[in-house]
Amino acid sequence: MKLLTKTTLYYILVALPLVVLASIISFRLIKSEMREGTDEALKYELHLAKDLIKKGLVKQKQYLSIDSLSFVEPSFLHNSKKRIADTLIYDKYEKEYVLFRKLTSYYTANEASYCITILKTTIEEDELIEGVLSTFFIIVGLLTIAFLFSNWILSRSIWKPFYKTLNELKRYDIKNHEKSNFSTSNTLEFNQLNDTLNTLINKIYQDYIQQKEFTENASHELQTPIAIIKANINLLMQSSNIKEHEMEQLQIIDDTLKKISSLNKALLLLTKIENHQFHKTEQINISNVLYKIVDNIQELADAKDITIKKQIQSNVCITMNAMLSEIIILNILQNAIRHNIKGGCIEINLSDTELIVSNSGEPLNINPEELFIRFKKNDASKDSVGLGLAIVKSISDLYHFKINYHFNNSQHYFTLKFS
Amino acid sequence: MKILLVEDDAHLRKSIKQYLYQEGYLVESASDFIEASEKACVYDYDCILVDITLPKGSGLKIIQQLKEGNSKAGIIIISAKNSLEDKINGLDLGADDYLAKPFDLTELNSRIKALIRRRNFEGNKFIIINEITIIPDERQVKVHGEPVHLTAKEYDLLLFFIANKNRVVSKNAIAEHLWGDNADQIDSHDFIYVHLRNLRKKLLEKNCADYVQTIYGIGYNFKTNEIIN
Repeated sequence: MKLLTKTTLYYILVALPLVVLASIISFRLIKSEMREGTDEALKYELHLAKDLIKKGLVKQKQYLSIDSLSFVEPSFLHNSKKRIADTLIYDKYEKEYVLFRKLTSYYTANEASYCITILKTTIEEDELIEGVLSTFFIIVGLLTIAFLFSNWILSRSIWKPFYKTLNELKRYDIKNHEKSNFSTSNTLEFNQLNDTLNTLINKIYQDYIQQKEFTENASHELQTPIAIIKANINLLMQSSNIKEHEMEQLQIIDDTLKKISSLNKALLLLTKIENHQFHKTEQINISNVLYKIVDNIQELADAKDITIKKQIQSNVCITMNAMLSEIIILNILQNAIRHNIKGGCIEINLSDTELIVSNSGEPLNINPEELFIRFKKNDASKDSVGLGLAIVKSISDLYHFKINYHFNNSQHYFTLKFS
Repeated sequence: MKILLVEDDAHLRKSIKQYLYQEGYLVESASDFIEASEKACVYDYDCILVDITLPKGSGLKIIQQLKEGNSKAGIIIISAKNSLEDKINGLDLGADDYLAKPFDLTELNSRIKALIRRRNFEGNKFIIINEITIIPDERQVKVHGEPVHLTAKEYDLLLFFIANKNRVVSKNAIAEHLWGDNADQIDSHDFIYVHLRNLRKKLLEKNCADYVQTIYGIGYNFKTNEIIN
């Protein structure tokens, strides 16, 4: 919800009960004031009537006004109390009942009693309510318009630096960090906000760069020590007086080193992809790449008695980095071999829009959603580093492809959709 | 055979030097750009192994200098960077091969041999080990003059063994040599065994001596008594 909408809404929320309350109070005040006024007028006319009686001018029923409503008449009753009450009288012209204030009083003069009845129209309650409410709503309406207008003016001037900062923040992309340029304003709070944001962004950027560089640097720095160990294992192996069990230990060291080395290579590749270091793109004929890689891995598949069925549409072209196109396909296919069973099968299906690779194999014992996360791997695959699918994911992210996994009929399906 | 090794890490320099020395090469080394560029200018080498990231300058610049000086030396880049760009840049400048660290010394050795062979320094087009003759240009193998039909992998394996003859070659090194990036993938030891068994069978069928010795479990040794360089 916009700031303006929100303040307006709160304003209305506060204003509405106030209006209702104010209306009720004013209604009551106006009503009692008016009644008082009417009653005063009634009393005044009562005096006039009494004067008439005193002067002995009243002999029989006599109307006091031209509307033939107020009158004086001789009466046998006598009640010293005067009564004022509301009464409804049918107006034959308007054809409706009209509210009147009616004063009834008895008066004794010249040894005769008289009844005085005086009537005066008074404003009706519903009319009064209508009047009061409409007045108030007009006031509220005008105030709201004035408020919205002033708010709009304010948000354009006072809030201007804020919206500028906001736009600046929206535009900010950590991947191509430019020195953020929050303009200074004459509002203390906004200047503080901008300063804080500047500090924060710079800090985040520093951390981002450090983290980005760390893995790459660490992997790089590891290459030479690994090379030294490897070279020395090679030299030790050549020694003629080395014993059998020592050779076995060397073998273990060599195997472990190989694992470290491939882990390091995979990590380095992953960070390079994520750091966008493969800028060069060209039109790649994916069909040909696929043929070539299937050819390369055929031997690995044969060793596990895995049959590869392929349905490859020719000349499917994608614009991407040549090396990454091979890596992504190789990793998907290697994965299909690694997690396959002896005598299993792999089906490869390439169309214009997608590559589907399915393979037989044991169901996953990890959450399928974690499949593409670094170092998440099936317990059974001890030998794998656990980065192959993470690399697939990061390449497909780089080119906005979509990689999906599902398991159906004891087949693992990997679908790579080219955007 | 004179080799110049340009590598800034002392341990690695020492190990490579020792291994190549045992192979019968004359190895000189340089630890930084200035030393390397001086040596490369003053002396003639058959092969130069150069690291790209060096103190005081880039290895790529040394390659440039060598090429400008019309050096005939074969150049192999040994780099920790393993970046395609470096590889392309280096090869564009005229380097002959690119080997990413970490590498097996046996692999380095086979690359040096292949390079030297390609440049035909020894003046012959054949590799001859006793009864085995290899014609690398045609990827052909003959035993006692009779051709042996080897698969691509068997041929590569044989060549790798011969480049590292009388040396213990680890299974991991063989796997990496034969399958490259796919090597991590496979139960490489079984694979090597299958290819080796077939290679052996084919050679023995032609009355070739059985040169391949299994070394405990770690690897193999292609043992010949004759030493040819």
